[in-house]
Amino acid sequence: MASTGKTSDKTPLLEISGLKTIFPTDDGIVHAVNDVSFSIARGQTVGVVGESGCGKSITGLSMLQLVPSPGRIEAGEILFYRSTDDEPLDIAQVSPKSELMRQIRGNEIAIIFQEPMTSLNPVYTVGDQIAEAIVLHQQVDKKTARERAIEMIARVGIPAPAQRVDEYPHQLSGGMRQRIMIAMALCCSPTLLIADEPTTALDVTIQAQVLGLMQELQAEMGMAIMLITHDLGVIADLADEVVVMYSGRVVERGSVDDIFYNPLHPYTQGLLRSIPVLGRTPQKTLPSIPGTVPHPLALPAGCSFGPRCPERMPECNQMPELLSINSKTENDGHPVRCWLHTDSEG
Amino acid sequence: MTKLLEVNDLRKYFPIQKGIFQRTIGYVKAVDGISFDVQRGETLGLVGESGCGKTTAGRCLLRLIPPTSGSFIFGEEQVDLAKLSQQELRPFRKRIQMIFQDPHASLNPRMTVGDIVGEPMRVNKTETGSALQDKIVELLESVGLRSQDTRRYPHAFSGGQRQRIGIARALALQPELIVADEPVSALDVSVQAQILNLLAELREKFQLSYIFIAHDLSVVEHISDRVAVMYLGKIVEISDAETLYQSPKHPYTEALISAVPLPDPSEQRKREHIRLEGDVPDPSQPPAGCYFHPRCRYATDICKQETPELRQVAEGVQVACHHSDTLDLQGV
Repeated sequence: MASTGKTSDKTPLLEISGLKTIFPTDDGIVHAVNDVSFSIARGQTVGVVGESGCGKSITGLSMLQLVPSPGRIEAGEILFYRSTDDEPLDIAQVSPKSELMRQIRGNEIAIIFQEPMTSLNPVYTVGDQIAEAIVLHQQVDKKTARERAIEMIARVGIPAPAQRVDEYPHQLSGGMRQRIMIAMALCCSPTLLIADEPTTALDVTIQAQVLGLMQELQAEMGMAIMLITHDLGVIADLADEVVVMYSGRVVERGSVDDIFYNPLHPYTQGLLRSIPVLGRTPQKTLPSIPGTVPHPLALPAGCSFGPRCPERMPECNQMPELLSINSKTENDGHPVRCWLHTDSEG
Repeated sequence: MTKLLEVNDLRKYFPIQKGIFQRTIGYVKAVDGISFDVQRGETLGLVGESGCGKTTAGRCLLRLIPPTSGSFIFGEEQVDLAKLSQQELRPFRKRIQMIFQDPHASLNPRMTVGDIVGEPMRVNKTETGSALQDKIVELLESVGLRSQDTRRYPHAFSGGQRQRIGIARALALQPELIVADEPVSALDVSVQAQILNLLAELREKFQLSYIFIAHDLSVVEHISDRVAVMYLGKIVEISDAETLYQSPKHPYTEALISAVPLPDPSEQRKREHIRLEGDVPDPSQPPAGCYFHPRCRYATDICKQETPELRQVAEGVQVACHHSDTLDLQGV
């Protein structure tokens, strides 16, 4: 059950602050992730929402030091609390190829991708692929790993796991492949699962199954989930906290109820208004956001959303800070990056 | 309203061939006897999950692939398009156009936007010379692009703008019916609304009829007057949009509606979720009786043996379920 103020009574698992991930290209530097800060508490689900190119996937990859070359993390901290009493580890400082990073990847932080067909290896059986992670991270022999793989396949709700374990990815349907991905991600009981558009390639009825499965497994195993998606329905279904991104920056952050019932940023408001909602008396015209997402190499001066914003004012030529309306700090419950909400004292 | 298109018992079977002699060992019944009609000025939504045959049905209607059987009675002339030869079909091709899903794959990257939009008119010799150029500009402006865009190439445009180019091309021959196959599913949320609005606006302006094929139920609800739900090559329910979403009559429709997560957290917490078990069955080996029975929570013995026919249960509401009279199903 999602409720407001959940963050405060939970211990933090991961704190990202001022994260910048850049891609140097021949035409200039793309700031894919630009000064992104948010935190994830243990057992919590944080939804990261935004359109294509907003940097939500690169944020997820940065957390695992998996940013594809030539991209790199340029600044910021990714503090990961590996256990409740230890000092946190700054993942941004860990080398991508180090032994330490390998221990974390797949073992403590796992990721599932959008397209289950391309993320599974077609020439290995699914059992081998799940067992690989188990052998790598837990000191067990192949036989035990295989047994655990069968156990995991059963746990993600695939019938006849003892047969399925020896099948190849092409023998499974899209929904089952995504279940296998989930099994693979969860076989080492990670404390954080990054789910990057986990259901976008699936049909709605299969999506409902997979989302339900993720919720069940979260309740059972207690991992935190960072859910990256463009689908506001999926966010409303699963997330406790929501981070809204636009052009590499966080524009608004808050509890799921804050974001859906009291959106502050004109982009969040526009996004929520522009989606057709099932069963709401269909309007003749959807209130759409004019224009398109700016090109990352040709960002407008000041607020990136400025040119599309219905509330545009002179201040928008400068980039606003991500500030909370009441406390004027970033760490309060519902910060927003907009000049409309920074003017109480002038 | 007058009837523009009447589809009767459309079937498309793809043979499964095996061995060196390519012997046919079975059929995938992609579209298995569907019937519906489209009124002039109406939008009919065709919704279903992947593999249900909605795209195949759309392609058959345009004769992009030959249907196995069935008839499509089109226009005032009441011509059966399924029976015409390619030659006889040509004048009708102008009157039915298509908008494709992927705006990146459906535009030729080597042609300028002006050439892309002008091509149908050049091929059909409806406009020439400066009249053609004027018409291209007019079309681009009607979809929200600018006249100077004619000389640019598709790669210079964003996904939403490319979809506008595809729409301008579809409008070039002043069609009466447009088959739109997932026209917004490749677009970003904020752009999707723009294209939906554009399609609605163009429908009014040019008195178009649409067959709108999509998997997204909320998008279909928004744009459609009537909706047909397909499952494994068959229509399981067809009725006007509001009735279908408020009081579905087929258990599959109910499950589909329930599976859509609403962008409203407290509503979403309150809703009862119906989770369908399993996957869509293999269309080359559909289950006996009602195709939906293995996943249906209301299934009884009759569902395993007899295939329910699509029958009228109320004015404008047709459903293919043995139990539709007794079931009280949940809408949105």
